[in-house]
Amino acid sequence: MSRLHGQKRKQTDSNSPAQSLTEHERVLYNVIRSKQDMGIWTRDMKRETNLPDNVVNKSLKVLQAKNLIKEVVNIQNKGRKHYMAMEFEPSKEITGGAWYVDGNLDTEFIQILKEQCTKQIYKLKVATLEGVTDSIRRSGVLNVELTKQQIEEIVKALVLDDEIIEVKSNGMGEFASIPVGKICYKCIRKGSIGGEPKTGAMASIPCGVCPRMRQCTPDGIISPQTCVYYSKWLDF
Amino acid sequence: MVKTQHGIRYAVHLITSHFGNLVAKVCECLLRKGPLPLHTIVRYTELSQMQVKNSLLVLIQHNCVQAYRIDETGGSQSAPKQSTQYLALFDNILHRVRFSKFLAIISQEFDKLCVDIVEGLLQHGRLTLKQIVERANSSHKEGNSIGVDAVQENLHKLVMAHYVEHCPASEPFLASPTEEDAPARKRGAKSAKIVIESEAIEQRVLAAAVPMEARRFSLVMDSELNDDGEKDQNKSPDKHVGDKRKLVASEPDIDSEAAENQVVLWRANFEEFIRRLRHKDCIENVRARLDDGAAIVLSAMLEASKTEEKKVKTASSVPLSVNSIYEEVIKSEKGRNMTFDHVRAALVQLSSPPPFVTVADESYSIDFKHIIEAAQSEEVESIVLKRYGRDAYRIFRLLSKASRLLETDKISDTIFVEKKETTKILYKLWQDDYLLMEKLVVGTATFLLWKVNKLVLWEHVLDELFHAALNLSLRVAYELEQQKEIVNLPIDRREGPMKDKYEKLKKMRILMESSQMKLDDAIMLFHDF
Repeated sequence: MSRLHGQKRKQTDSNSPAQSLTEHERVLYNVIRSKQDMGIWTRDMKRETNLPDNVVNKSLKVLQAKNLIKEVVNIQNKGRKHYMAMEFEPSKEITGGAWYVDGNLDTEFIQILKEQCTKQIYKLKVATLEGVTDSIRRSGVLNVELTKQQIEEIVKALVLDDEIIEVKSNGMGEFASIPVGKICYKCIRKGSIGGEPKTGAMASIPCGVCPRMRQCTPDGIISPQTCVYYSKWLDF
Repeated sequence: MVKTQHGIRYAVHLITSHFGNLVAKVCECLLRKGPLPLHTIVRYTELSQMQVKNSLLVLIQHNCVQAYRIDETGGSQSAPKQSTQYLALFDNILHRVRFSKFLAIISQEFDKLCVDIVEGLLQHGRLTLKQIVERANSSHKEGNSIGVDAVQENLHKLVMAHYVEHCPASEPFLASPTEEDAPARKRGAKSAKIVIESEAIEQRVLAAAVPMEARRFSLVMDSELNDDGEKDQNKSPDKHVGDKRKLVASEPDIDSEAAENQVVLWRANFEEFIRRLRHKDCIENVRARLDDGAAIVLSAMLEASKTEEKKVKTASSVPLSVNSIYEEVIKSEKGRNMTFDHVRAALVQLSSPPPFVTVADESYSIDFKHIIEAAQSEEVESIVLKRYGRDAYRIFRLLSKASRLLETDKISDTIFVEKKETTKILYKLWQDDYLLMEKLVVGTATFLLWKVNKLVLWEHVLDELFHAALNLSLRVAYELEQQKEIVNLPIDRREGPMKDKYEKLKKMRILMESSQMKLDDAIMLFHDF
């Protein structure tokens, strides 16, 4: 993972490719460039420049070939063709943020981050957000810079997974080193990470997972006596 | 108590399998229509008066119906007449599947004779001391007959522990509701009002029927005079001798005569059994979350404070000091291994966020509400996980914790799932009544907002639990009926393929019965605890 998440503007030299443009190409290029890190949709381009369709399309091809502009995916409207000047990195609104790559959620990256955070919290037993962030940075496991806010999003997702629990410190026992009232995170499962939450009584029987519970009646077409899920469950 | 649609069907099914269709018909009428007088029941069920009477007697005997008297309204000038109404006791009907759990509690704390006594009370609904003794002796072979003293002694133990109680008054009088009740009834939507009213009536009837605390667990075994005062044509004189003492001081000869007759009626005190089961559930929850040490300490706290518990569904226990807790801990065998520091450490662990025990001024009290609610949430989340998948599980947990409306985008971002997929899952949960949805229109944009309403959802889940319990019951009956031959196969014929079939059937029964017991635990968690 060698993605950087800064919005650094890379200063390219203004050299010959930019100078050898036709009138139309220049107009188009300036419009695109003016939108900086937001880029612009082809239809909007056509509207702003008042250039006919075929001219715009041809010019876009030329500009791309000269490496002056690039196509980017706009997460808000994936179907639209969106262009940006080469020297800009797409803004967060366009990419969807840290968690998106090429317009899709980077689920692999997120999963790895989740596992790392869980590991650190289990190691620390109880940790504040700062504690987790520091711990991750020091472990050197990731070669990307993550902000505290991004770690917070991951940690909150782990709470929803029931891997860790969010509590307020009472300053005693395992929370002795954490100021009273500060939000911190601690592991739930004593022992292994990544186990399944315990299956409840209802979920252990066919009725619990049945998609047809509403239609099921003792005398109906769907009934406990004729239920195929039961038949399967009782087939030893 | 909340009676959902499937709750009623399940209760009727239980009565049918225990007492037959006739009694079940009467019971169903009362469950669906609320408390009714005899003639109305006759009209609704289209049975004969005798049939209805007998059915009511059976139900009263088994504590599934409580009779009470009210002033009949109407008739301006005439003196107010009293009529008897019958109220079905939904909770007690549900307890009928739990008798084995109740007996397990008794066998852990007392010896075999006590277990027999309670078994008899559960089987027969209510018994006099004489009947208990007779029953004990009839089940014994030759040799030692069990004397009245032995039975009385064991009965004493059970009454002292509150597992057995005097039967309630057979037909208490219910005064008209006072002005204080009226404002409460005016609030809320009509349907809510009806629910509140019916629950209020049930509470008032039960409160009127229960004997005073001193009487309820009184160890006085001898005479309560036969009451004549409240016999009316609706009751047969057999088993329903009330225990109202005739307030005539100047009849000592009746007293001494009646001393021969043991006319106190005893029954199992369901309330105490449910309290014990609630405690056990809390202990097991703590053991699963923390460890054995914490469970032992919690158990001791429960033991020390249980006599102070006013009602079963109490939110927290009475505060205890660490010394009184320690004293209780070392009374038990397992607890004797714990040092004072051990106990202190366990208390710190228990009161560590999220706390099972709250601390105030060096006194500790158990937060029942938190423990029970956490267990309930776990059960519902488990259903969502298994039925709708992991992403739905996350969505549900997010909305439960938020306790307010959240917009689709926010949900989708927080759980790291694409918006399209998130919307699909949200719709599914909403269609099945697990979520509420609201539409917000701002200009040309429409936003969908979602929320978990715990109160509404908990009732919906409880109804599903009743539905599932009914289904399990029906399926077991069906399987056994289908395989009747195999069930009735004598031992010597169980060979070869027959043996395999028999073993298979046995496995099925074990699986079904253990599932039923587990599901009933979940029902208690949502309904009784």
